[in-house]
Amino acid sequence: MNLPGRRRKVTSAILVYVLLLLSLQIFLVTVAAEGFLDGDATLAWSATAVSVILALIAALFYRYLR
Amino acid sequence: MPEPEVPIWQRDFPITAAGEDDITRREFTRYLVLASGAFAASGALMSLWASLRKVETGTLTAIVELEDLPVGGSHLFSYPSPRDPAILVRVEPQLVLGFSQKCTHLGCVVFWSGEDQHFECPCHEGFFNLEGRPIAGPPERPLARIEVDIRDGMVWALGVEQGPHA
Repeated sequence: MNLPGRRRKVTSAILVYVLLLLSLQIFLVTVAAEGFLDGDATLAWSATAVSVILALIAALFYRYLR
Repeated sequence: MPEPEVPIWQRDFPITAAGEDDITRREFTRYLVLASGAFAASGALMSLWASLRKVETGTLTAIVELEDLPVGGSHLFSYPSPRDPAILVRVEPQLVLGFSQKCTHLGCVVFWSGEDQHFECPCHEGFFNLEGRPIAGPPERPLARIEVDIRDGMVWALGVEQGPHA
């Protein structure tokens, strides 16, 4: 495969990974909101911790692209 | 021989079609990563707020004379603050239950249906049983319970129950 084609595939693959991570984060935000409304700070913090990890992974993917 | 003139649009936007694909995908990924950071930050904000906020639990307050509350009937009052609607239900002659009237779905005011023996939220048809637990409709969390006691023929509110799913 030529280089531009390969790069485009890598970019698309990373885009899909980041989209997947983001969709998980949307779910985690609803969990955090549920914990917030329920007065359950432990649940909110747990969801936030996982969300931060996913954000870091997304940032690493983006760093790989640059 | 003169060089062919470059169109104006190409001077302003000197990106080839193949490169354009790469750049737009990369840019889109950057926005997604920024959104990802925003989601994480919003979660942290909610968690911090949940940890720091002080929940008003109320003080000992006389609500109503027991004889003014018929068995199977309900009484509306405000607790713990005048902005918090609450409801009392006399289930048995010596058993009175107290709940916040705020529906746990979107905060509408629930009412007591004596015939069906349940609380009903008219906004989105949410239903709660006698213990305040959701039995139908969109609400997933129970109504906040208010501890009540009968002392010398008077119903007193002692405080709002705390903790998850209170």
